[in-house]
Amino acid sequence: MGTAPDRRAQEAPPAPQGKAPRGIVATRRRSALFFASPALLLILLVTVFPVLYSIVLSFARVTIDYDGFQIEEFTVGNYGALLQSTAWYQALGFTLLYTVVTVTVELVLGMLAALVLERLGVTRGWMLALLLVPWSLVTIVSAQLWRYIYDSTYGIATWGFQALTGDAPVILGEPVSAAIALMVADIWKTTPFVAIILLAGLVMIPEEHYEAAELDGSSAWQTFWQVVMPQLLPTFTIAVLFRVLQAFGVFDLPFVLTQGGPGTATQTLAIMGYRVLFQDINIGPGAAIATSTALIVGLGCLLFLRAFRNQARGER
Amino acid sequence: MSRSRVRRGWRRWINVVNLGGVVIAVVTAVPLYWLVVNSFKTNAEIATSPPTLFPQDWTFENYVTAFVSNELAVYMLNSVIVAVATTAIVLGLSLFAGYALVGGKLRGSTPIMTTLLMLSVFPAIAVLTPIYLIERQLGLLNSHPGLILPYVAFNLPFAIWIMRNYLAGIPTTIEEASEIDGASPLRTMFSVILPMSTPGLFTVGVFTFTASWSEFLMALTFNSETSFRTIPVGIALFSTEFSVPFGAIFAGSVSATVPIVVLVLIFRRSIVSGLTSGAVKG
Repeated sequence: MGTAPDRRAQEAPPAPQGKAPRGIVATRRRSALFFASPALLLILLVTVFPVLYSIVLSFARVTIDYDGFQIEEFTVGNYGALLQSTAWYQALGFTLLYTVVTVTVELVLGMLAALVLERLGVTRGWMLALLLVPWSLVTIVSAQLWRYIYDSTYGIATWGFQALTGDAPVILGEPVSAAIALMVADIWKTTPFVAIILLAGLVMIPEEHYEAAELDGSSAWQTFWQVVMPQLLPTFTIAVLFRVLQAFGVFDLPFVLTQGGPGTATQTLAIMGYRVLFQDINIGPGAAIATSTALIVGLGCLLFLRAFRNQARGER
Repeated sequence: MSRSRVRRGWRRWINVVNLGGVVIAVVTAVPLYWLVVNSFKTNAEIATSPPTLFPQDWTFENYVTAFVSNELAVYMLNSVIVAVATTAIVLGLSLFAGYALVGGKLRGSTPIMTTLLMLSVFPAIAVLTPIYLIERQLGLLNSHPGLILPYVAFNLPFAIWIMRNYLAGIPTTIEEASEIDGASPLRTMFSVILPMSTPGLFTVGVFTFTASWSEFLMALTFNSETSFRTIPVGIALFSTEFSVPFGAIFAGSVSATVPIVVLVLIFRRSIVSGLTSGAVKG
């Protein structure tokens, strides 16, 4: 599964300038510029520019009317208000909790699933196909499905709890159970994705390494921590990074499943930002929420990458 | 390379690995079963407790409701237009850009690639307002281009990343041979590189299509009018009235899911190779 192209791309093949005649090099460079510019310009215009503009807006008082919008003045007030708002701290706290819990559980379960899948025989192809279905499911569809499962009058989860304990809980009506319900729905949809990535990393570990460990008489547990995990670390890191980034910006699932409720108990930063921006039409403060969210998650990822690099260096 | 062990007797069938496999399959499949089976129940049966595990009388009324009175057909058409156009444009642009960024043809390609990777995972909420304000000024809200444009820009970084990684595996000697034969760069692109890059294009295509088909936040913000809603927005806003019409929602959900599942299963090799190429996106 690990195809040769990937390896070579990471090594960045040496530039062929040395060999080729000068005319060809110039032609190559000119055509490369010509080939790359439409895509890069579009990215510059539609993603890089808005990111910068969002930062500008977060420092501004903006008024919006029928014809358009005006920046009235520049101020740091939007961030000041944010730091004094309990709603923001609550959303930040919930988003952090949600990210840590879902990513941790998904990594543990995904790892277990990948280990099982690796050892499966002929059925592995079918299992992979089945696991791709939740991954490809539109998040909104899965949110509606879980909303029905948790429904307080005819949801199957409610009915199950009633059969077991005797009274029917209002799952989405209590802050704690609503948060757990939200996380369960996320874990169900995303663990298969984590499992597939980790499986791809597992099958790339050379068979001889297992054989060597077996000859040394190491137990399965030791083999996992001393042979499998170190080699899986790059794949693992990628899975963590992308899941953290995704979980931290979560919007679709709580928007439909809990609407951030009960009250604002499951309101994530993205939902809060969306509400301030497009329901209260408060452009400046909304941009401050959006920008700080991006900043926090960006910083978090940089710190994680540094820690990972230090660890990789320590092992060498 | 499978690490399955040879086991004998009853242990061939009943062991930790097989039990684990069964658990994974059941946990994954049961909610999917629940989605499909409830789309064929009558509204009365959907709202019974205890729930029925199998429809007592099969009905297509939910599908009729979804398509006739909830304009699911319109949402589907919008999703198809947006996703197909986005995928086509991304395929073209990422092929050229990925090719340009490989093999040291362009200066600064490493920082460009790093920036692209960072952009491909940036939270969408951070760019929502400026794009909304600009599209409002340009009159692009509630239109197909108004969604295709940001979708292309947001899917391009990841697509270029995959294309570049794939094209890096094509030996440079093939390119050089074409150059020595006197072919122009464009000619080399179309008659040498393009035919060799189909697997990479499949990966980019299926990822872009799936992402555009599922995207919610931008679609909700930019195209909120009924006639321009895509499927995720349509399904999310089915329940604006007094009760939640789960039957119609599930019928719509199944209709929206079947095409994408078929696509994903056909191209599952491309997806797995895309996920393993070091660049992962959900």
